[in-house]
Order: sequence, then structure tokens, then C-alpha cells
Amino acid sequence: MLRLYTKIFKNPKTLISTQTLYHNPDITIIGEKLQSKIGKLFSGSLAIREVAAGSDNSVEQELTALTNSYYDIERFGIHFVASPKHADMLMVSGPVSRNMIHALKVAYECTPNPKIVVAVGDGAIDGGIYKGSYATVDGVKNVIPVHFEIPGDPPSPVTILTSLLNILEIIDSKKLGQQNG
Amino acid sequence: MDNLFLSTIGTFVTGAILSLLLKSKGKIANRVSNISAITGSILGIIMSGSLLIGRFQYHTIIQTSFPLLNISINVDQLSAFFILVISTVSLTSSIYGLSYMQKFIKQYSVGSFGFFYNLFIASLILVSSASNSLYFLIVWEIMSITSYFLVIFENKKSENINAGFLYLVMTHLGTAFILLTFLLLFMFTGSFEFAVIKQQANNIPLLVKNVIFVLALVGFGTKAGIIPLHIWLPRAHPAAPSHVSALMSGVMIKTAILMMIRIYLDLMPSGASWWGIVVLIIGAISSLLGVLYALSEHDIKKLLAYHSVENIGIILMGLGSAMIFYSLGMIPLAILGLVAALYHTMNHAIFKSLLFLGAGSVVLQTHSHNMEEYGGLIKRMPYTAVFFLIGAVAISALPPFNGFASEWATYQALFAGVIAQSTLIKGSFVLAIASLAFTGGLAAACFVKAFAVTFLAKPRSEAAKNSVESPMLMNVGMAILALLCLVLGIFSGSVVPEIIAVTTSLSAMSNYTPAIATSPQSVTVSQGFASLNLPAVFIALAGVLTIVMTLVYIKTRNQKVSAVDVWDCGAPPLNSRAEITSTGFARALIVMFGSLMRPTKHTIIENNISNLPYYPSSKTVNLEVPNVYETKLYRPVHTILSFIASKVSIVQNGNVNQYLMYIFVTLIGLLLWSNF
Repeated sequence: MLRLYTKIFKNPKTLISTQTLYHNPDITIIGEKLQSKIGKLFSGSLAIREVAAGSDNSVEQELTALTNSYYDIERFGIHFVASPKHADMLMVSGPVSRNMIHALKVAYECTPNPKIVVAVGDGAIDGGIYKGSYATVDGVKNVIPVHFEIPGDPPSPVTILTSLLNILEIIDSKKLGQQNG
Repeated sequence: MDNLFLSTIGTFVTGAILSLLLKSKGKIANRVSNISAITGSILGIIMSGSLLIGRFQYHTIIQTSFPLLNISINVDQLSAFFILVISTVSLTSSIYGLSYMQKFIKQYSVGSFGFFYNLFIASLILVSSASNSLYFLIVWEIMSITSYFLVIFENKKSENINAGFLYLVMTHLGTAFILLTFLLLFMFTGSFEFAVIKQQANNIPLLVKNVIFVLALVGFGTKAGIIPLHIWLPRAHPAAPSHVSALMSGVMIKTAILMMIRIYLDLMPSGASWWGIVVLIIGAISSLLGVLYALSEHDIKKLLAYHSVENIGIILMGLGSAMIFYSLGMIPLAILGLVAALYHTMNHAIFKSLLFLGAGSVVLQTHSHNMEEYGGLIKRMPYTAVFFLIGAVAISALPPFNGFASEWATYQALFAGVIAQSTLIKGSFVLAIASLAFTGGLAAACFVKAFAVTFLAKPRSEAAKNSVESPMLMNVGMAILALLCLVLGIFSGSVVPEIIAVTTSLSAMSNYTPAIATSPQSVTVSQGFASLNLPAVFIALAGVLTIVMTLVYIKTRNQKVSAVDVWDCGAPPLNSRAEITSTGFARALIVMFGSLMRPTKHTIIENNISNLPYYPSSKTVNLEVPNVYETKLYRPVHTILSFIASKVSIVQNGNVNQYLMYIFVTLIGLLLWSNF
């Protein structure tokens, strides 16, 4: 009991060192570039709708981690929205299970043009560790057209952020916004 | 004018008789009865219009062989105003009825319907112009009986017969009280003629005046539909065919208001101030309870019937304030109150008829009264939807329609009363203002529910899916009323002076400057305390709408539009079960007023495996708002009366010898009594 009590004074206030917390150059630099790209291409707000098409939730955990107070992507103007009708970008995770084919197609059709489809995680790209299963169709590209892929099982939040920045730079240079995707 | 009045009534009577003679040929009888009603209504409009514009009155007395009964007809400005409203509503109802009644030709006798219909409208006009109490009771009875037959027209449904019987009993109850009123007036003034009663009114002792007040309130209140005498309204109005409901709800209950104005402000104006307070409080309670019961209804015509109760409450609030101001000697404010009451009477007749005609169109197509089976009708019946929407916006008192103008006037009359000295009067006015505000909001909520559940979203039944637009004549009738709703609102600056002239024609209120003044654009109250400029509101609303629509059109002109399904979260296709129901919409408000409404909820669960609650086979939830008046007020009275009647029935035992003995004993008794 006393040991538990003294832990209050012995343990630091956060489990992340202050060095990492306040002086992480990765996220700050990437974040600032991301914010300026979003300001240019999406008038300051990028709405992302995440579709979990039979995924094992690893990618969803990482995407959820992006909205916590450590990464806090909302300050860069990235919002996760509930309805595909509000979305600019569709992030799909998981090798599409057969039960989700119809739902994924409906979500794709309901997203208004111009839209960007990103397959996040190895499973979404080509089936990943579930490749060849009887219950999946081995990748989002077999169901809806995919513009970009973010590899990893799952990709870490920093990877996702960096990949997003790359995606936006490619869009900026190609002016993808005018095509129907 | 003699000829005009006679020809108006004569047209209706001729149409009635012709329609009865042609009973066997349904189509021709229908055309004859409705065309004669249309002609009679046009003549009625011309007659009353010329009386109102010319500001003169028409009266005639026809002696009959009975000594006390003269057929005395006195169409003064107030009666002419009501006859104008009656004729307008009957004109549009008859245009509507021309095609509405065609669905009944095979099953029921449209010829006898036409007979009662024409006699009903004729009796309405005669009731408004009657000037002799006995003659008034005769035409009042004709009005009640003909409307009873109209209510039970669809006699194959038992609920219509029950509704008609309840209506008959309640209206005769009211007539009994009215009879007592007139008998008392005769006893103390010596005549049945209204003109003589008015002159002799000061000879009536105060106690008798108070009794007359209460009797007239109960008697005419039963016909008008004040709480708690309203129980026949929500049963009788859905039972009758829709254009008859429009007539009953729009004008028949207003004749009771006319007689209340006649007795309280014309014949016996110098009453006590508590009369006005009672009328005001009854109006406040009726309006609030009426709209709450309307919220709980999912039968569209019962909903509209309860809204009639609510609007009668609003009219009584205006009338009550006029009576209070009159008793305090503030005649200009009394004129304001009465103008508000009369204006709301006219407006309610117009928009309530419009709503009933719209409801009739919907019921005709979907073969159901239940709003939970409608839905999606705006795509299938666009004109009906637009006219019903105009009626709904008018009854919710939104500018620039007529409901807003008359409720504004009622508010002004009530606000003016807050300056009174006595705390009781001040308190009643404050209560009335709060009640009117509540009522306005709840009425808007109720019509959002009624319009949305009926016309918007997806159809909830096969019949609603297969509905088509109604025939053109039904839409013409509704279009006239919708146009009147808009015109009477925007041009309130031109309509209100006429109503002020009607009010100041009453001898109790003439030669005073009213507290309400008008210009062609605006209506001002109490030397600038408040003013209302509805043409400006209309132009502003129309202008903003036009500008916004133009901007949107310019911006989206070149945008490609693609139609995609509604997002349903990827689940199986959406059907109508995902939509809000009428019960669900209103339940929150009903539960909030739970202490007044006493809603009940019964859950019945059937279990698959006996007594295991984890696998129920079905669960039924019954949400109800019980009719407390029938259980707590009328049923005990009925039980007591039945008990007394069963005890008294010993006297009437069918034994002829005993009856002869009664006669013998009475004869002996009278002979002895007359000797001593």
C-alpha cells in the first residue's frame, strides 16, 4: 500500500519524456507542411471518411491514435467525418470481406466527386496476411478504384501522416481534383 | 333586399327539394344539390356584401298564427358579417363537393344528402339572422337535425352512427340550456323579440342576469365546443364527409359565438366583470387543452377537430377581453377585443375549411383516416400538398397569412388588459397571454407533424404509394380558400376597417373611437403602441426568397448534378419504417404535459418458450392518451341519471288501469285545488 502511495511521487507525470513531447521535430514539420497543403487544396479542411471493410482493427487503432492529444491532426485541418456524403477522401482498411463489398460500393458512390480513395494497410492493398482467404476479395482495388496506397501492417501514425503529405503533394502537382477518380 | 334574402333561402330550399325528388338518379342529384348550393352561396355573398358595404341593415317581420312566434329576420352588420363567412365557406365546399361526392353515389343516397346539405346551409343563414327567440330555436333545431343526418351519412360504419348519436345528445343538451336562457329572458322582459329584450334589458334583476349568463355559456358553449363540453367535436367531425366537416367546423360552431356576442354584448351588455373573466379563462383553457389533444391524435380529421376547439378558445379570449373592458368602461379597448374575436372567427373559418378539404382529398385517395398510413403524398398530390401547407402555415399564425394578423390582434387586446387595476383581472390576462403563447407554439408543432407525416418522406402504405392527384374541382375549391388566406392576411389594412365598422354598429359600442386604427398598409393599436405592416412583410419575404433563389441559380447553373441514393450506412434499402411516426413526434410533448394529459403505456410481451423472457415472439406497445372527460365527467353523470331513471320507471309500468288511476287522481286533485 505504501509502495503504491509513494509511486505518486516517484513516477513522472507523463509516460512520454518531455523531450519527445514538446520537441518532436517529425510531427511538427510534417504537420506544418500538411496544413499549408490543405489550406491550398481544400480551403483549410480535409474531410476523411474511414471505411473498415473487414479489417482486423489494427489500422483503425492507428487512425484513432492520430486524433488523440499527442498527434492531434485536427489542428492541421484534417477531420474524420461520419457520412461519406461529407467526405473529400475515403480511407479504406482491411481486405474487403465478401459481406462488405456492397456496403463499400455504396459508400464509394455516395461520396461526392471529386474524391480520393486511399487504401491504408497491407490488407487493403492486396490482402496482406489474409491473402487467398475464402472470405475476402484480396484488396480494395478489386472493388473500387484506388488512387493511393499506404503500406504497413499497420502503418504507424507518423507514416500515415507522411504518406498523407506525399499524397497531397502529388495531388497538388497533378491537380487531381478535376477528375472523377 | 327583400327579394335577395328570399331568393337566397329559396334557392337552397328548391335545391333541397329537387335533390330529394331526384334521389334515384345519383349523379344528377349530386349536380343539382351542389349547383343550387353554389348559386345560393353566391346570392348570400351578394346580399351580405351589399349590406356590409352599404352599412345598412335589413329587417322584416312576418306574423304567424301563433301569438308569440313571429318570423322576424334582422340582418344587421354583425349578422351580415357571419352570413358572408357562411356563404364563402359553403361556396367553396359545394365546388369541392361536386366531385368529392361522386365516390358515394353507388353506396349511399346522394339525393337525400343533398336535401339535408342545402337545408343545413339555409338554416345556418337563418340562424345568423334570427331576431325572435322562438323562431331562433326552431331554425337552431333544424340546423342540429340536418347536421345530424349529414354526420351519419356513411351509415354502414358503426362509429359514425355512435358519433352522430353523441352529437345529437350533446346538441340537444345545449339547446335545453338555450331554451332556459330565452325563457328566463321572456319572463323578465315580456317578449321573445330581440329588439324588445334589448330595450327591457335593464329591468332584469342582477341575479337573473348572472343565471342567464351561465345558462347561455353552457348552452352555446356546447355547440361551440369549449372544454369540457367538447366531446362531440372530435367524434362528429371525422364521421361526416369532409366538406360537411369543413362547414360544421368552420361556420356552424361560429353561430354559437355569434349568439354569445349577441347576448353578452348586444342584448345584455351591462353585465358584471366576472363574466368576462370566466369567458377569458375558459378560452385560455380550451385553447391549451385543445392543442394538446390535437398533438396526441393520429387521425387527421380528429386532429383538425381538436384544433377547432383550440381556435374557439382563442376567439373566446378575444370576446372575454372585450367583455371585461366593457364592464370596466374602457370601450375603445372593448372594440379592439371584439375586432380581434371577429377577425379570428373569419380567418379560422377560411383556413379550417381549407384544411378539412385538404384532409378530405387525402382520405379519398388513401382510404384511411390514419396519418401513420400516409407519407410521400407531396410527389403524388402536389396541388393538395401546397394548399394544405398554406392552411397549415395560416393556422400556425405565421406571417404574412391571415392567422398571424388575427392572433396579433388578440395578443394586443390581451396586452392592453394588463394595465387593469384589479389583481384578478390582471392575473387572468397574464394567464391568457401565456396560454396563447403556448398554444401558438404547440399548434405550429402539431402542424409540422400533420404536414410532414402526411405529405413528406416515403409512403407508408400501398394506398399512399398508389395515390393520384384529386380531380380539378376539388383543387379549385381549395385554391379559392388558399388565395383568401393570403389576401386576408396581406390586405389586413383593408379588411380590419370593415370589421371595425361591424363592431361599432353594435349600439353598445357605437360613437367611440376604437383603440385600433388602420391604413391601407398597416394596422395600429392604441395610438401607436404597436403596429403591423403585413404588405411590407410579404414584400420583404418574397424579395428575400427571390434574391436567394436567383443567387443559388446563378452559382449552380453550370454545376453537374448527379442523383445518388440516400446514405443508409450500407444497410439493406431504407423503407418507410425508418421514418418518424406521428406518435413518436408528439410523444415527447405529451409526456412533458403528462400531468394534464395522463398518457398511458401498456406493453404486452408474448414469449416463445413459456416464461423465458429472453426469446419473446412478439411485443406490443400501446401508447394512449385517454379521454378523461368521458371517464371522469360524463360517465358518472350518466350513471347517476340511469340510476334515477330506473327508479322512476316504476311509475311507467305499462298497466293501463294504473294510468287511468293517475288521470283520475290528478283530475280530482285539480278540482279540489281550484275550489280552494
